[in-house]
Amino acid sequence: MRIPFISLFMTSPFDGLQEHAEKVKECAWAFQQAIECHITDQCEAFEEFRLNVDKMESEADSIKRRIRGHLPKGTLMPVDKFQLFRYLREQDKVLDAVEEALDWLSFRSEPGIPEALEKDFFLLVDAVMDPVEEMCRLVLETRKYFRSYSEKQRKIIKDIVHTMRRQEHDADKVEDAIKEKLLNMQIEAITVFHMIRLAETIGSIADHAENAGDMVRAMIAR
Amino acid sequence: MAWNIGANDVANSMASAVGAKAITIRQAVFIAGILNVLGAVFIGSHVTNTIRKGIVSTDIMTDPQVALIGALSALLAAALWVSFATWKSLPVSTTHSIVGAMIGFGIMAGGFAVINWSKLTAVVLSWVISPVFSLVIAFVMFKIIVKLILVKEETFVKALKLSPAFIGLAVFIIVLSFLFKTPLGKKMAIDSWAALLVAFIFATLLGYAGRVLLHRFIPMDDNSSAEEVFRKIQIGTSCYVALAQGANDVANAIGPLAVIYFLVKTGGVGAQVPVPAFLLLFGGIGIACGISMAGYRVMDTIGTKITTLTNTRGFSVDFAAASTVLLASKFGLPVSTTHAAVGGVLGVGLAGGIEAVNFRIVFQIMIYWVLTVPAAAATSMIIFKILQLIV
Repeated sequence: MRIPFISLFMTSPFDGLQEHAEKVKECAWAFQQAIECHITDQCEAFEEFRLNVDKMESEADSIKRRIRGHLPKGTLMPVDKFQLFRYLREQDKVLDAVEEALDWLSFRSEPGIPEALEKDFFLLVDAVMDPVEEMCRLVLETRKYFRSYSEKQRKIIKDIVHTMRRQEHDADKVEDAIKEKLLNMQIEAITVFHMIRLAETIGSIADHAENAGDMVRAMIAR
Repeated sequence: MAWNIGANDVANSMASAVGAKAITIRQAVFIAGILNVLGAVFIGSHVTNTIRKGIVSTDIMTDPQVALIGALSALLAAALWVSFATWKSLPVSTTHSIVGAMIGFGIMAGGFAVINWSKLTAVVLSWVISPVFSLVIAFVMFKIIVKLILVKEETFVKALKLSPAFIGLAVFIIVLSFLFKTPLGKKMAIDSWAALLVAFIFATLLGYAGRVLLHRFIPMDDNSSAEEVFRKIQIGTSCYVALAQGANDVANAIGPLAVIYFLVKTGGVGAQVPVPAFLLLFGGIGIACGISMAGYRVMDTIGTKITTLTNTRGFSVDFAAASTVLLASKFGLPVSTTHAAVGGVLGVGLAGGIEAVNFRIVFQIMIYWVLTVPAAAATSMIIFKILQLIV
């Protein structure tokens, strides 16, 4: 406090956002491996992956709380505080959805995913991974934009947001295809319910990533 | 006292340059030291008079005995208060400490009547005006840079193209301050319009010369951006802030000392005490010593802690701070460079140039600004009484 000049500057919330986004990406990768492991049947490590995701989720939660708890009133930022919080919420929901999907799957591990749907679920998981990875890049590029304010950088961000929207749409289509198949299969009703809920939860990962992208678009609006 | 100024206030002039990585810490310490001495010796004397006689009426100075004790107690009180503040890590302004100490001694020696209240009001006003003014300039400056340069496709080319305007603007202000503030400028006795004209010519010439130099020194490749251009310009503006600071702050340390010196030498004191150049040099060297000894640590803290300040931001802050200090000195207000620098950072922050700025810190700083004057005054009173008993 001796030098007021220094105490004016505080730790940037963007540091935390980036850290959080990295965590989300890590979790998503673990999630992908977990699902693949579950489907291939030969893998014993599903439970391990699931616990790992749980652990990372709570780490990400503490990052989230750190960001929220360290933005006192009267902090000047290039973006509105609540835009930042809304963004963070969406980014965090991605993670929650990842965790929930794995938990939901673990509640009824037998018989698991029906053979006829294995390929579709692979597709769905791949489809939701894309926007999550884009989201991680988005944080980085947004930070660069607020440093340079250049039109070129703004364009890059807009392109990423567009890509995310398209990817979310693709994931939706895969999700719908799974649901349609499920409802027309001659299997136990409880399995149908289990699988539909699973597909919806996995699909929501992409939804939240898209919402996060939309929040960034709002941040850079002029 | 001078040492304290050097150790603490150097942050104001060089912080943005170091924070923006325009210069290294070693260079900053070196440049700030030299320029503070230069500023103190060549521009300083004018301000010294203002502080000494502005707030406390000279009537009490007629008795040499009282004046001597008073000046001594004021110097001691200010030094004590600033040292205490440094020890307690409080952000106080050295300028206001000395103002407060002078007031304290004035009240003790001649009662409340000797205080020039309108001057004091001006000082209080400057607490508000100087940060606000600096804030506005920095805000506008940064917005202009964003609108004219950063938004464009070819930022580097654009920045280079407009660089004469920015260099010119900075030069304009520097030349004006030399003409209006220095004894040298006064001797030439140029009236305001002529001064403006001279400054304008200098600004135009140096602006274009600057662009030629920039062209030569910055390699034209794909990585170069507008920041590169401002990095070079910023070295110049930081130098100016250091210069202005030397001129402005040397008065704090030397003002009372000048009175003592004059009394001892002539046995009386007039309405105006000419400040001998060697005293100014002494003060300047004192500041430089403070910078070289403690400045390094301060700069280091700044360099590691302030990472979000880029060159365009740093330029805006420097420009705003320098202009504010110049303008305030023109009106004879003892402004603090700290206030101006803080205002500049807030201005850029409001314009969205910095990832996170703590606005509320201003209110905390403000409390210490307000506290400084009475605290220094009280200390000065006590010392005055003690000295009176002894002598």
